[in-house]
Amino acid sequence: MDLIKWDRPDPLDSLTHIQREMSDLLDFLSSTPPKGTYINTEFPPIIVSTSGDNVIVRAEIPGIKVNDLDVQVVNDVLTIKGERKTSIEVSKMTYLRRERPYGTFARAIILPERVDAEKVTASYKNGVLVVTLPKAPESKPKQVIIKKS
Amino acid sequence: MEKKEHPAVEKKKISSDRCTVTGKGRWYFPLSDIYETPDNFVILIDMPGVDTENITVDMQSNELIINGEIPQTTYSNEKIIYSEYDTGHYHRHFVISDAVNRSKIEAKMADGALTLILPKAAYVKPRKIEIKTD
Repeated sequence: MDLIKWDRPDPLDSLTHIQREMSDLLDFLSSTPPKGTYINTEFPPIIVSTSGDNVIVRAEIPGIKVNDLDVQVVNDVLTIKGERKTSIEVSKMTYLRRERPYGTFARAIILPERVDAEKVTASYKNGVLVVTLPKAPESKPKQVIIKKS
Repeated sequence: MEKKEHPAVEKKKISSDRCTVTGKGRWYFPLSDIYETPDNFVILIDMPGVDTENITVDMQSNELIINGEIPQTTYSNEKIIYSEYDTGHYHRHFVISDAVNRSKIEAKMADGALTLILPKAAYVKPRKIEIKTD
């Protein structure tokens, strides 16, 4: 007769497993945007900066074709519109994980300074849109000459 | 007026309590999609601002490790007025099963999105058996 040794798991092992799962769940629930970060982050996220005579607006829009992007400047409002499309036919695939947002988006930003709408340039490289907006001549600082009396 | 929902993006910082981060700069988890087609598994990863030559895709035992590094000197001579995102390196890893033909993994980079094509191994693909008629 053979004796078979049963490797019976300790019932407390499953308890530690539950404990770990619960602490993971609590970690997940408490990891929702902490204070001080961007709570209402719209797509695409932007960075606005100034350098000398230009206002620079950057936006992270990965995975989009340049033809699907539309950038407009009206007075001091910059509008970025576009659509992010799925790359292949939806009918032929099954999603296993989905984190990236798809669809149309539009954002309008009030610029910090008056800009020269005729001279605005935009470039798109590696998924980052950079819009360079030269400041309008009237918003540039003017040297005031003080007359000696 | 019709209420439209915008897709929202939130960058998740790799916290130092889960792992040890060495080297310069901050690291982030890029967002990724995984989908399955009859012949392949496809992983799409958003890595805005990364040049193709700064991406490394490594296969280590059964983990596919993807690192994307961005240049550190971006905002010289600029005054930032408003900022909604942080720039940093990207890291993500995936555990790959035996159902993937590991020697034929392909990677493509276009417009800041990395596409990884993982062909399925022959034994998991459906094989059609012909029925003979006399």
